[in-house]
Amino acid sequence: MTSTVDQHGQHELQQGHPAPRRRGIFMRPGYLRALWVTPLFFLIGMYIVVALRALAGWDPVYDWEYIVLVAGMVTAPIGFLLGIGTFDYWLYWVAGRPTLVDDHANHGAYSWKDYFKVNTDHKVIGIQYLVTTFFFFVVGGFLAMLFRAELAEPGMQFFDTQTFNGLVSAHATLMIFVFIIPAFAGLANFAVPLMLGAPDMAFPRLNALSFWMLPVAGTLFLASFLAPGGAFATGWTSYAPLASEQPFGQVFFNMGVQWAGASSIATALNFLVTIITMRAPGMTFWRMPLLVWANFTTSLLVVIATPFIAGSQFFVMFDRVMHTSFFIPDNGGYVLGYQHIFWFYSHPAVYIMVLPGFGIISEIISVFSRKPIFGYRLMAMSLIGILVLAFSVWAHHMFVAGMADWLRIPMMISTLLIAVPTGIKVFSWLATLWEGKIHLNTPMLFALGFVSTFVIGGLSGVYLAAVPIDIHASDTYFIVAHIHYVLFGGSVFTIFAGIYYWFPKMTGRMYDERLGKLHFWSTFIAFNVTFFPMHWVGLDGMPRRVADYAATYGALNMVISVASFVLGASVVIFAYNMITSWARGPIAESNPWRAMTIEWQVSSPPPVFNFDEIPQVVGGPYEYGVPGARHAVLKGGALQEAHV
Amino acid sequence: MIAVVAAVIASLVAVLIRWLPESASEEMDRITFVFWFATIICIGIFALVAAVIIEAVWAFRVQPDDDTDGPPIHGNTKLEIAWTVVPAILVIAIGVVSAVVLSKNANAGSDPLEVKVFAQQFAWKFEYPGKVQSEELVMPLHRSVEFEMQSADVIHSLWIPQMGQKQDVVPGITTKIVITPTRTGDFTLICTELCGLGHATMRAPVRVLEPAAFRHWLDEQRAAGAGAGAGGAGGGQSSGGSSAAGDAALGKTTFASAGCGGCHTFKPAGTDAQVGPDLDNLVADAKKAGEPEARYIEQSIVDPGAVIVTGYQPGVMPTTFGKTLSPAELSGLVAFLSGKEAN
Repeated sequence: MTSTVDQHGQHELQQGHPAPRRRGIFMRPGYLRALWVTPLFFLIGMYIVVALRALAGWDPVYDWEYIVLVAGMVTAPIGFLLGIGTFDYWLYWVAGRPTLVDDHANHGAYSWKDYFKVNTDHKVIGIQYLVTTFFFFVVGGFLAMLFRAELAEPGMQFFDTQTFNGLVSAHATLMIFVFIIPAFAGLANFAVPLMLGAPDMAFPRLNALSFWMLPVAGTLFLASFLAPGGAFATGWTSYAPLASEQPFGQVFFNMGVQWAGASSIATALNFLVTIITMRAPGMTFWRMPLLVWANFTTSLLVVIATPFIAGSQFFVMFDRVMHTSFFIPDNGGYVLGYQHIFWFYSHPAVYIMVLPGFGIISEIISVFSRKPIFGYRLMAMSLIGILVLAFSVWAHHMFVAGMADWLRIPMMISTLLIAVPTGIKVFSWLATLWEGKIHLNTPMLFALGFVSTFVIGGLSGVYLAAVPIDIHASDTYFIVAHIHYVLFGGSVFTIFAGIYYWFPKMTGRMYDERLGKLHFWSTFIAFNVTFFPMHWVGLDGMPRRVADYAATYGALNMVISVASFVLGASVVIFAYNMITSWARGPIAESNPWRAMTIEWQVSSPPPVFNFDEIPQVVGGPYEYGVPGARHAVLKGGALQEAHV
Repeated sequence: MIAVVAAVIASLVAVLIRWLPESASEEMDRITFVFWFATIICIGIFALVAAVIIEAVWAFRVQPDDDTDGPPIHGNTKLEIAWTVVPAILVIAIGVVSAVVLSKNANAGSDPLEVKVFAQQFAWKFEYPGKVQSEELVMPLHRSVEFEMQSADVIHSLWIPQMGQKQDVVPGITTKIVITPTRTGDFTLICTELCGLGHATMRAPVRVLEPAAFRHWLDEQRAAGAGAGAGGAGGGQSSGGSSAAGDAALGKTTFASAGCGGCHTFKPAGTDAQVGPDLDNLVADAKKAGEPEARYIEQSIVDPGAVIVTGYQPGVMPTTFGKTLSPAELSGLVAFLSGKEAN
């Protein structure tokens, strides 16, 4: 394909553009350029602050908190993105220099090195997302094991309380903002354009920029451990006014969320435009695979909700750095305002973190049961139902917060009702299984494990919706159990399921099925032993986010801690399987699961531009068992006949 | 069949576990009722789901080389309506029961005891009618206590696990909660909203007494409070050597009520926390800062960022003590901390 690009470039040149000047190694997009542009932009930010302070006559002129905030968290990251090359094309265009509309110079991976560069191929970006987020998953899990070590016994052993609070906060923040949400963006990045029959995402360069903002966010979260006073320590919820009074590490959270949020919003816009405008001929909305439906609704949630958390974090930070009083009661601020704005994002965020998983599970259960998905239209409509209800339930996080009493009953009812569309999905998966021809490969094991654990998470959600129970259980370990049944038993299981399912397509090689099953069973058992007892200690009286607790909970906490280390160890099996299988696993067929959706009808891994010719969609995506049924017809070289 | 057995066993285990602590309030009795009402519904649903998964895997699993497909069933409208409507009815039932219990639990009845709660990093203070203040929460048996709660700094949350009720204490607004104790005994009140580094230690003792014993305790407190109040006022005005001891006595109670021991080691107060600097080293620290001891102590309470002891971080200690402590309490604390014995 490289030669095609060259020919293409040549073609453009003949139309009269001057040949682009070959640039020196420090001027080419990449790490070497980032190495000097990033510090340069830090200095620019720094001297903006210094100059303003000097002009205003403020003392000290070199105030390092403001310098780190402006230069370290705003201008230096922009410098990094500039240096690495995410803005090159747009800046050339702005400057009136020659650009090629079809410039594929940074498209596709031809060697492993291409995965470390700015790339516009949705398949490369998808894998970049998955590898990067897996790194933060491991770091976040490591932080969790550190504080589980502290919690194994009552009393204080390893950390002081501020460090403990910092570990808890950073664990949740890494897992939510730079693992679960972007890992789904990674899987969808890889799968959605292929499933739609599209050659790429609608905005490939924006797609690359979205990805590269992610390491910036993760680095800021981790860098907070170096700040004086330690990492941000107010939980991932970062409630005001505590968050405005904490040591400087708090600002790393406020700003990290901005970068992660910007990445998330840009990706969601990209998905929306791609899904609306780039479906192959014949791909009506009612023929889209449920994974596409799931990412469509998720993207709507992201686009509508994420700006709220961005706003809430800016306001908290302004209370601190600019002495505003959005949430400071002494000067007329409204403390509960923070929680309303925060949860207006963060409750929909729970669905942002689980709807894509629903999509993955629908694909897998249908394929490995060899049956059409049961009630396809109701499955799609229940996603829309969750989308709408998701915006009317936020204050169920605030039943004990001191908000207006009358808000509690309506919020309880809407929260209870959201169990209905969720229930529809679960029952439809079960009906899909029934009378199927079930193959228990690793993706299917994770899918079934997901259904059983997610049901527990959903049902404990019903308890928490019931206001009197919530009043007792709020801010206890019951909440910790609930959120982990939803986000680990829910989201993480689906991420594993999705990675195993598409691994042959992504890499062109098969993973080791035996290790996959070992990974599933060790994860499933250790997960339940870790998190199920938390329901009990919570209801019995152990609050969350405490470094020390009553001695009566010592035995169960020891069990929980030991199980959590086993859970951590199970990830090693996964990593080993992925790395060795990618390097030297058996070559994968183009369609090892005999699936009908379009991504399986092209070679493994797919060609750089996905399809030689755009496919024609002729039927539904899950017509298993229907004689002669086809989802799509593909023509051309590497393409295969759909399985009948 | 095997699936049904598994489901029944799972349900039995879930029903037999004592999930909630033994109730000690009328409100917790009602919460316990809602809990079991929801549990029976939820266990039923979980057992159904688990049984179907196990049975499906058991009955419909095929060999890896089986290339056949299942029957092309696309749906069943009646079934789909059923599993939309039935769960909707069940959750609405939970909602109705919850709403009734919620309104009962918020009702303090005709003759509640009103107790004001003041929360600050990292201590609780309770005020009874007649301005009687206490660091211990004492409640009469079978009488509703209505709490009116205020916070001096950040959000805290009041919870006594056996009594179920929980309510955040929010700066800038007053929040309310009702608890009606149903058995005597000792309990612990804990803060459940992350409020900073002393959060895990922000607790207060709770005692529930027979009504007569409670009245006796209240009278006792009232008498003691009047004495201490007069002594404190007197100590604040005079400047003789004898008042220093009275100051230090007030300082000792203030040290406990303001929660200093949650973060600081101070041998005379018997505390050993290690979050903030060890206050037994105050003489040396003051010398290092080059200030007279009394001034150094007062400044460090009112404006903790002024001098930071080596090895500790700024921005950790609450900055609100200058506002929340009375001048008498402040001078008492300074006297107590500078080593003047309380008598």
